[in-house]
Amino acid sequence: MTTVSAAHHSVARRRRTRTTGLRRRSAPYLFVLPFVAVFLVFSVYPLIFTARLSFTNWRGTGAAQWVGWDNYTYLLTSSAFWGSLGNSGVLWLLIVPIQLVVAIVVAVLLSSATLKLRGLYRVGFIVPFVTPLVAVAQIWVVLFDQEYGAVNALLGLAGLPDVGWLTTSAWAKPTLALLFLWKTTGFVVIIVLSGLQSIDADLYEAAELDGASKSRQLLSITVPLLRRTVMFAVVLQTLAVFQMFAEPFVLTQGGPYNSTTTAGYHLYNHITRADLGTGAANSFLLVFLVMGLSLFFVRLLRAKD
Amino acid sequence: MTGTTAAMKQAQRPAADAAPVGRRRRRRRHLGSHVFLMLLLAALLAPVVWALLSAFKPANDIVRSPLTFDPSAVTFDNYAAMFQDVPLGQSFVNTTVVLVFKGAITMFFAPLAAYAFAKYRFVGQNLIFGAVLVTLMMPTIVLIVPLLLQMKSLGWVDTYQALILPGSVDAFAIFWMRQVIAAVPDELLDAARVDGSGEFGTFLRVVVPVIRPGLAGLAVLTIMNIYNDFVWPVVVASSERMATLQVMLSTLAQNITGNRIGADYATVTAELLAASSVALVPLLVLFIVLQRHFINGILAGSVKG
Amino acid sequence: MDRHHRRRRPARLTGVAVVAVVGLGLAACGPEVTGGDDTGDAGTLRAPDAEQPAGEITIWDRSGDLFEVFEAVIDDFNAVYPDITVNHVAVDIDARLQNTLITGADVPDGVFLDDAKVGGYAEYLWDLSDVLAPYLDDIAPQKVEVNSVDGGIYGVPFDFTPGLLFYNAAALDAAGVDVSAIETYDDLLDAARAYKAAKPESGPIHLERSEFLGQLQLEMYAGQLGTSLADADGELRLDSPAFEQVLTFLDTVRAEELGTRAEYLSPTDLAELENGNQVFYPWAIWFSFAPQQLLTDTAGQWRAMQLPAWEPGGARSGAMGGSSFVVPKDGENAELAWLFYEFLMFDEAGYTAVWGPNDVYPQGLNTSIPSYQPAADPSAPLFEPVEALGGQDLWAVATEAGAQIPGGTPIPSWWDGAVDYLGTDLQRMLDGDLTPSDVMTQATESIQTNLIDRQ
Repeated sequence: MTTVSAAHHSVARRRRTRTTGLRRRSAPYLFVLPFVAVFLVFSVYPLIFTARLSFTNWRGTGAAQWVGWDNYTYLLTSSAFWGSLGNSGVLWLLIVPIQLVVAIVVAVLLSSATLKLRGLYRVGFIVPFVTPLVAVAQIWVVLFDQEYGAVNALLGLAGLPDVGWLTTSAWAKPTLALLFLWKTTGFVVIIVLSGLQSIDADLYEAAELDGASKSRQLLSITVPLLRRTVMFAVVLQTLAVFQMFAEPFVLTQGGPYNSTTTAGYHLYNHITRADLGTGAANSFLLVFLVMGLSLFFVRLLRAKD
Repeated sequence: MTGTTAAMKQAQRPAADAAPVGRRRRRRRHLGSHVFLMLLLAALLAPVVWALLSAFKPANDIVRSPLTFDPSAVTFDNYAAMFQDVPLGQSFVNTTVVLVFKGAITMFFAPLAAYAFAKYRFVGQNLIFGAVLVTLMMPTIVLIVPLLLQMKSLGWVDTYQALILPGSVDAFAIFWMRQVIAAVPDELLDAARVDGSGEFGTFLRVVVPVIRPGLAGLAVLTIMNIYNDFVWPVVVASSERMATLQVMLSTLAQNITGNRIGADYATVTAELLAASSVALVPLLVLFIVLQRHFINGILAGSVKG
Repeated sequence: MDRHHRRRRPARLTGVAVVAVVGLGLAACGPEVTGGDDTGDAGTLRAPDAEQPAGEITIWDRSGDLFEVFEAVIDDFNAVYPDITVNHVAVDIDARLQNTLITGADVPDGVFLDDAKVGGYAEYLWDLSDVLAPYLDDIAPQKVEVNSVDGGIYGVPFDFTPGLLFYNAAALDAAGVDVSAIETYDDLLDAARAYKAAKPESGPIHLERSEFLGQLQLEMYAGQLGTSLADADGELRLDSPAFEQVLTFLDTVRAEELGTRAEYLSPTDLAELENGNQVFYPWAIWFSFAPQQLLTDTAGQWRAMQLPAWEPGGARSGAMGGSSFVVPKDGENAELAWLFYEFLMFDEAGYTAVWGPNDVYPQGLNTSIPSYQPAADPSAPLFEPVEALGGQDLWAVATEAGAQIPGGTPIPSWWDGAVDYLGTDLQRMLDGDLTPSDVMTQATESIQTNLIDRQ
């Protein structure tokens, strides 16, 4: 009796595992299917188109001329291309470290349940993100005008000399960086905030059971787990800084002296000049560069684990 | 059975304080926090306040004396002119339609695909994910020509489909959600499966509740990204009938961005500021509502000090 | 989790499959590389021969005041052509036109476009030389040239924007400077020196700081000498005595501190105009809106005169900026769009409605003059005297100046791109870091390698 039922049971169970096994194996395909469909049509196709374009000289009409690696060699030997990467590199240094520190501090403060006015702060950090950039650029020009701007007026009160915020190569980058920081720091705050809050409660509970103190928990749970989020934010903002286009477009048009021609803006220039092949090549070089940087940051941050 | 419920309960139970702060020092810390956050908030909001107030100034004063505000000279002319020139109502409708559909598609399919990437192994996984990363790093501007060619052959130019579908399952959303879901402990999922929960059921009943903070963050960022997007909409929404808010703003702003200082420089600036203020309000309201019902409830609710 | 029993073989298989698919995709996606249906040559537009042409045209314009001015003309147009429906839309042209033309998606029938951009789009546009033929002799030669590429004419010339010397008459008077004596740029330098002697903190002459506008203004100065960045064959001619003369003048203004260096109508610029430090503004006629709208303190004190000449008796004006109307080949009713522009520019009812008093500008549109010379008669003004210029008859000044603008100044298709090189080097010169001849040689070399050779 028992053996029969046990055997019967195990057969049924095996059958069930087989079907659930099948279900389990097919599940991921079903889950990614809608995404892959959209992705193939609207992302992979343009991507391959662009890849092919990067080896041609095409100005938009008629047949494209196959030029091999010509667009790439032109860019790699062009001082303007390297200059744009250099500009973006400096902007990265001016933006990403500051943004991360500020965002982490703000997110940690905002995630404290006892802090009053949290709602106000959170909405406040979102506001710049939804304010149209063209409107903001107007005030930037007014604030940072050399002779009559508010910022230099304040510096004057403090007895400091005027600064050519928008007119000198040296200062235009910080001024642009400030606009970018203003616009996007809220974005990083949200990422860090949800990174902080999706830390699994089990871990704290387990640590509690093991008798770990709160500060010990911070060091052994919060900080290591936040590292993934930080890594993620660094990668995203690296992308954003190198692709940055709208901010210099509305504020400086890449000037003065091309000092704010970012990698993204340089790319845009090729495209508006209908040099679509060079634009495509430029974007792939940018993808490789950013991917290399991302891998580097991922390694760097992972190594400390 | 008990294993799963316990795990799920634990997961849904508030996470430990993500910012563990000694209770003794909390009060003092909060004062410092408020000062810091308030200063930051003032810096973030000042340009927006300037834009909001300036929209009520006579057009010439905005350009001539941008930093003053004379309450006796308050005017609604800019709003009147703006509403006359800009079909704002239709663009609101369009933005809302795009926001709702594109947002819904992203919010459902991106986490689902991300779940497959994070918690399953399947054929082609790395390749597809690699492609996702490449699209994420690819500047949108180079993809416009192939995408538009595609829309043309589909007969989708100037339609809602064209505004909604491309980029609807956004690479960023997948990248981020994969990150978030990877942090969900495998034991939770295994326990659910032992209890006979289907693959999709596990996603819906186990994963989604655990990653709610991440989802809330994604919702905010998705809304902001869709709302702010203009590079693609400007190109594909070719008629006033389909124009989104950002398309309207960029059409309006073209006379003052770059070097275009036309004879209507002052009036356009004024109308742009008025339009920006009007465009900002619904989104602010939305976030305040979300803040109450959504961010507060889920984000903050999961954290207890 | 499934990762415990990951299977390796299928992964390799997919690798192969994917390579195959990508290969196929590569062959399918992307622009056509060989062959192609280049219909570039058979592109001359002919006027419709129907008695009463009918259809709908889509016309793109920039938003703003001009949009409203043109909008108001549509009724007059329909009085003549009742069966043509004009779908007039305000569009961000810079952001949209290129993509629309390349892909041929929803192409409009007519588009408002900067003169400097016409050449770059010529391949997509109708050659209008046939339909324009009856009017050609009456259109300012400079405007025909900027729309010409390889013998074809790709735009209907719209406005003419002669450079003028705007000056603060009251301030100069008070300083005892006699403006009527200014006939050459040397005279202008002398007048500036005299003003500076009376008001040492001043920088009488405007020096443009924007790289784009600086280059545009440089072309205005050079245009007086009948030259421009490139000739009709696209050959660079920056390294020439004409440009050296212009650059040396600007460098002298800088060296003697006779200039106010500011970006056009930036806060600094406005303030220096209002406080009497900046009294000479050599600029296109469209500067006229500044005293009318922005310079409230000094409105009424400003006047305009013809630009000084480079040599005694030389041309007293050059063109700066300007726009035209283009007709894309892929538009459905291109020939009807031509009728619209023909009415707008060459029919008295049309141009009177544009420049004459209208709802948008009760005194008329005084930031440009017509490029069609029968419309630009100095003795038959379309717009009224300008209050902010002390009631001066700006129409007469501008049309007389415009009549002197020499031809021979085409705009190369890469003009905008040159700003990164010439525009930038010009600013370096104004910083004192480059000499005029440095600018000419450096910019020539950069433009040649980065723009012309990459065409």
